[in-house]
Amino acid sequence: MLTDRNLRGTGSPNGPVPRLRLRLALAGWIDRQAKSLFLLPAVLLLVFLSIFPLILSVYLSLVRFQLVPGGFRFIFVGLANYRKLIVGIEREHFLGLLADPGPLIWALGGVIATVLLVFIIRGAARGTPAISGTAGRVVFALVAGTLAWLTIRTLTSGGRPGTLITTMIYVFVGITVQYWIGLTLAYLTSQRLPGRRFFRVIFLLPMMITPVAIAYTFRIIADLGKGPFAPAWRLLGLSEVSWVNYPWGARIVVMMGDIWQWTPFMFIVLLAALEAQPLELLEAAVVDGASRWQTFWRVTWPQILPVTSTLILIRMIEAFKIIDLPNVLTNGGPGTATESLTLHAFIAWRTLDIGGSAAVAYSLLFLVTFTALSYINLVHRRLAGAV
Amino acid sequence: MSRHLRMLLALLGAIVLLPAVSVPAASSRPYAGVTVNVLTFTGPQIAEPLQRRGPAFTRLTGAKINVVTVPFSDLYQKILTDMVTGTNSFHAFVFAPQWMVDYVTPGYLEDITNRVKADSKLRWNDISPFFRDFSASFAGRTYTIPLDGDFQMVYYRSDQLQRAGLRPPETWDDYLKVAQALHRKDLNGDGRPDFGSCIAKKRNAQSYWMVWSVAADFLQSRGTSQGSFFDLDNFKPLTNNEAFAEALRIYVETGKYGPPDELNWDVGDSRAGFTSGRCALSIDWGDIGTLAIDPKTSKVKNKVGAVILPGTRRVLDRATGKLVDCTSANCPYAMNGVNHAPFAAFGGWSGGINKAAPARVKDAAYAFLSYMSQPAQANVDVTIGITGFNPYRVSQFKNMSLWVKAGMSSGAAKNYLGAIEASLNSPNMVLDIRIPQNQKYQQVVLDTAIAKLLAKETNIQQAMKEITDGWEAITNELGRDKQLQAYRSTLGVKR
Amino acid sequence: MLQYVRRRKSAQALTPAGMLASYLILAGWAFIVLFPLFWILTTSFKLPVHVYDGPVYLPYVDFTPVSDAWRYIFVDLRNDTLRPYINTVIVALSSSVLALALGTAAGYGLLRFHYAPRLGVIGLFAGALLLAGLAINMQVPWQIALVSGLAVFLLARQTVGRRFTSSVGNEDISFWMISQRILPPVAVVIPIYVMFQRLGLLDTRLAIIITYTAVNLPIVVWLMRDYFRNISVELEESAAIDGASPYRIFWSIILPLSTPGLAATFLLVLVFSWNEYLFALFLTSANAQTLPLLIAAQNATRGPQWWYMSVLILIMITPVILMAIALERYIAKGLLVGALKG
Repeated sequence: MLTDRNLRGTGSPNGPVPRLRLRLALAGWIDRQAKSLFLLPAVLLLVFLSIFPLILSVYLSLVRFQLVPGGFRFIFVGLANYRKLIVGIEREHFLGLLADPGPLIWALGGVIATVLLVFIIRGAARGTPAISGTAGRVVFALVAGTLAWLTIRTLTSGGRPGTLITTMIYVFVGITVQYWIGLTLAYLTSQRLPGRRFFRVIFLLPMMITPVAIAYTFRIIADLGKGPFAPAWRLLGLSEVSWVNYPWGARIVVMMGDIWQWTPFMFIVLLAALEAQPLELLEAAVVDGASRWQTFWRVTWPQILPVTSTLILIRMIEAFKIIDLPNVLTNGGPGTATESLTLHAFIAWRTLDIGGSAAVAYSLLFLVTFTALSYINLVHRRLAGAV
Repeated sequence: MSRHLRMLLALLGAIVLLPAVSVPAASSRPYAGVTVNVLTFTGPQIAEPLQRRGPAFTRLTGAKINVVTVPFSDLYQKILTDMVTGTNSFHAFVFAPQWMVDYVTPGYLEDITNRVKADSKLRWNDISPFFRDFSASFAGRTYTIPLDGDFQMVYYRSDQLQRAGLRPPETWDDYLKVAQALHRKDLNGDGRPDFGSCIAKKRNAQSYWMVWSVAADFLQSRGTSQGSFFDLDNFKPLTNNEAFAEALRIYVETGKYGPPDELNWDVGDSRAGFTSGRCALSIDWGDIGTLAIDPKTSKVKNKVGAVILPGTRRVLDRATGKLVDCTSANCPYAMNGVNHAPFAAFGGWSGGINKAAPARVKDAAYAFLSYMSQPAQANVDVTIGITGFNPYRVSQFKNMSLWVKAGMSSGAAKNYLGAIEASLNSPNMVLDIRIPQNQKYQQVVLDTAIAKLLAKETNIQQAMKEITDGWEAITNELGRDKQLQAYRSTLGVKR
Repeated sequence: MLQYVRRRKSAQALTPAGMLASYLILAGWAFIVLFPLFWILTTSFKLPVHVYDGPVYLPYVDFTPVSDAWRYIFVDLRNDTLRPYINTVIVALSSSVLALALGTAAGYGLLRFHYAPRLGVIGLFAGALLLAGLAINMQVPWQIALVSGLAVFLLARQTVGRRFTSSVGNEDISFWMISQRILPPVAVVIPIYVMFQRLGLLDTRLAIIITYTAVNLPIVVWLMRDYFRNISVELEESAAIDGASPYRIFWSIILPLSTPGLAATFLLVLVFSWNEYLFALFLTSANAQTLPLLIAAQNATRGPQWWYMSVLILIMITPVILMAIALERYIAKGLLVGALKG
C-alpha cells in the first residue's frame, strides 16, 4: 500500500527518480499480491499431495485388486465393496448385530424422530429463505436419525456394536473426558501456583510419545497377569477375571489409553488460550467483586470458546482415526469388540483386500465429513464465527 | 584354409578360451563390486544371522550384503509393494513361504529350480523332504531356499508330568487330561497357582494357526498331498463337519485350563508364560526349545520336553462328513493307532530372489542364500536361539553335540530332537494354506470366527457356518476352478 | 508503536484450601502421567525373565538392573540406531518449521482477507494437476508433465474458466483444508508411494518432509487462525494507516503477539511429525528410516521385546521433552500491548 509517506525523501523535489519509481511500483505490486502470497503456497502444497491420491483411492474403492500371472489387475466391481459393508457379508462386522426392537427401543426412536422433526421445522420456519438450508437440515436429520437408530439397536442387550458404532463411542466419550480433564489442568496451571512450570512440562509428556509406543506401554501396564497392577488385582480376589474377556472391559481399557495419550493436546491448546487472555478483563471482574467461579464462567469461558470449538473439531477428526491402541492392545478383540473403523480398514488392506479397505476408509470419510459439517454449522459457527 | 578363415578360427578360439583363462583370476572373488539388498524383518531373529555372516560372505565372494529390515507385521506389504510398483529396490527377500503364491503368480519371484539342481554344496537332499518338495516349491518348480523349519509341536514340563505320573500327550484327549491335572498347581514354586495349558489365542496373531494344529490331524490322514483345508475335487471347505466340530470343541475346552486373559495372549506371552514356569503345556514352533536354555529368558532349563503334535484315533471321512475310527486303510501313517499331522504353520523362513534384479546380482543373491543354508553355516545357526532358525535338515538333528554345546542337557536334547525328527519324518505333515488370497481365508475369515467363538459371541455350529460361508464367498469371488487348480498345484497333486 | 511487556499475574489469589485442592488434582494427574514412564524406565534395565515373571518395581530392591538392553541398542546396533535418530530430528524439525511458516501465513490470510476463487478455475486447476499426475504415472519426466499441466490450466482458464462464476469463500477453503485430515492414511499411502516413486524420491528425507508438511498444514492453519482472532483488528488497521505493508504488519505485530499460540502449535506439529509411522514405513527404506519404525519393529516373531523398546522410547522422547521445556516458557509469557490504550 503506497502512501506519500513512503515516497518522502527519495529524490528530487519533483518526485522520485525513474529507477526508484520502478522499485516502488514493484513493491506496490508485491503488496497487492499479499493476499495471494499468504494463502497460495499452503494451498498449492496441499493440492499437490491430495488430488492424485484422493482420486486414485476413490477408484480403488470401486475395484477388486487381484494378482494375476504377469502382474496385477483391478477388476471394476462398482459399489460391491460398499454393498458388502451395509447389506452383505461384512454387515455384522461393520454395522453390528441389531437387536430386535422392543417397546423401549421404539419409544426412544420415537423421541429422537420427534426431536429431529422439530429441528427441521424450526429451521424452515425461522425465515431463512434458502431451500438448501432446509434440505441440509433434512439430510442431517436423516443421517443423524439413522445413526441414532443404529446405536440404540446395537447397544441394547441382544445387539452387538460393529466397528462403526464402536468408533463413535471412542470419539464422543474420549473427547468429552479429555476436554474436561485438559481444561481443569490448564486452568490450574495458569494460576499462580509455585511449581506450575514443573506440572506443565509433565502434563505434556504423554503426547510426546509415538502412538505405537504408547500402545505397547499400555499393553504391559494393563496386563493383569504380569503388569504392575497384578498384585493389586490379585489382592482384590480378581485373579481369575480379566478385562480381556469382556467387550466393554476391553473398550474401556482402550479408552483409558486414548485419554492418557491425548489429554495433553487439549491441555496445551487451552493453556495457550488461557494465557492469552487480556489481563484487564480479569482484573475488571475482580474489581467488580466477582467470585472465582463467576469470573471463569462469565469472563474466561466466552474468551476460550472459539479455541475450544476449533480444538474439539480438530481432535474429533483425529479421534475417528484411532488405530494403534486397539491394534496393539487386543488386535480388535475380544471377537471384534474393540475394532475401530481404521483398524477394520487396516486389517483388510494387509490381506490385500485393497478395494474393501478403501470402501471402509471412505465410509469413515463420509461419517467424519458429516459429523464435521454438522458440528461446524450447528456449533462452531455460533461459538467462533461471531468474532 | 584361407588366411582369413584361420584368423577367424583363432579369434573364435580365443573368445571361447578367454573365459576359461580369466576365470581363475576372478574365481576368488566372483562378485566383486556387486551389492545385494536383502529385505527381511527387524531382528534379532532371522536378521541377525544374515547380518553376522554377511562379512564372511563378502570375503569369500566380494559381494556386499546389505540387510534391510522393516517391522514384522509390515514385511509382506513392503515386499509386494516393492515388486508390484516396479520399484525393485530389493534383490532378495527372506520371507515366509506361505506368501509365495502371491509373489509367484504375477511372476515376481525367480525360478531357482535349475540353480538348485546344479548346486552340490547346498546338499539339497539333506533338507527334510517336506521343506524341499512342498514348502520351497510351487507347481513343481522351486522358488526358495529353506533357512528355517517352522512346524508346531507340543511342549510340556517334563518335571511336572513326571511328578504327576503322566505321560506326554499322544492324543488331544490326553492333552486335555494333562492340562486338567496340572491346572492350578504351583508349577514354578512362587506360591501362586499356575496354568495347565497356555495357547496363543489372541485375535489377529497366531490363533488361526493354533486352531489348525488341533484340527489338522482330524482332517488329513493320507499324507501331505491330501491337504487339510479343502476337498480336492470340489474345493468345498472342510470346516463344516463332525471332525471340525470336535476339533473346535477341544480348542475351546483348553481355555478352561488356561490363564484368565488367554484371549489376549500372543505367542510372545505364551512362550514367556511357559519359560517362566507358569504353564504345563503349550503349542508352539521350535522356539520354546531354544528359549528354554537361555538363562536370560528361562526358569525351566532342562525341564522341558517336546512331542509331536497330538493326534486322534478318529478321523474325518470326507465322503460322509462323519468321524470314523482309524484303520490301516484310512490312517496309513498312524503311530500306535493315532493319526498325527504335524502342521508346518507359516512354512519356515526361506530366501527368495527378485526376478527383476540384474542377472549378476541375482547370481550373487543366490550364492548368499545358498551359503546361509549350507550345513557348515546352517547347522550351527539352528542351535543358537537368537537366530530364530529352527532345524530343517536331517543332519541337524542327528548330531547332538552341537546342541549340548549350546547348553541343553543330553537328555533334553535327545527329547527335543526326537520330537523334531518324528515331525520332520512324518509323511502326513500338513502344508499351510497357499492359494491366492490365503490371507483373507485365514486372517480375516477363520481368525475372526475363532475369535468370536472364543469370546463366546457364537457357538460352535455358528462358527463353523461362518467360516464355511466366508470361505465360499471368497472362492466364488475368485473363481472356484482357479482356486482348485492353485490348491492342487501347491500340494503337488497332478491330475 | 510501544509495547508493554508484563509478566502475567493471577488476577485472584488462591485460598489455602483452594491451593491444597489444586495441588491434589495436579499431583494426581502427574502420577497418572509419570507412572507408565517410570515403568518404561525400569523395564529398560530388565532382563526378559524379569518382565515375564511378574511385575518387579524397584531396581536393586526387587531385581538387579542390567544394562543389556542399553548396550544392545547403543553398541551392537550403533549405526542402525543413530541413522534413524538423525533422520527423525531433521525430518521433524524441517517439516514443522515449514508447516508453521506456510500455515501461519495461510491462517492469517484466511482471517483478514476475502477470497473468492471461482469454482470453474478450481476445477480446471485440479483437472490439469490430475492430468499431470497421470502423465507422471506413465513415466513422463515430471518437469514436462508439470509444465504442460500448467499450460493446459492457463489456456483453459482463459476460455472455459470464465463460464462458471459461482465461487467459494474463506470458510469453504478452511473446511477443505481440515478435511484433508479426515481420510485415514491407510487409504492414500499407496497412491502417495506411487507418486514419489515416479518422482524418484523414495527413501529420501525430502519426500517425508513434504508429506509431513502437507499433512500438518491444516492443523496449523486452523489453530493459528483462532489465536489470531484474539488480536484486535484495530491494531492492524492503525498500522495500515501508518503505511505498513501487510507483510510488515504480519511480521512485526501479529507474530510477536501470538507467541503462545505459535509455541503451542509448533510443539504439536513437531510431535506429530516426530511420531508418525505409516508414511515413514512406506516412503522410506534403509536410508531415510525414522525412529517410530524401529520401535514398532521391536515386536518381532517372538513377541514384543519390551526391554529394547523401552530404551528406544526413552531416547526418542528425550529431545522432545527438552524442546517442550524450552517452549513452555513462551507459552507462559503473556505479552500485552499497551498501545491499545493510547
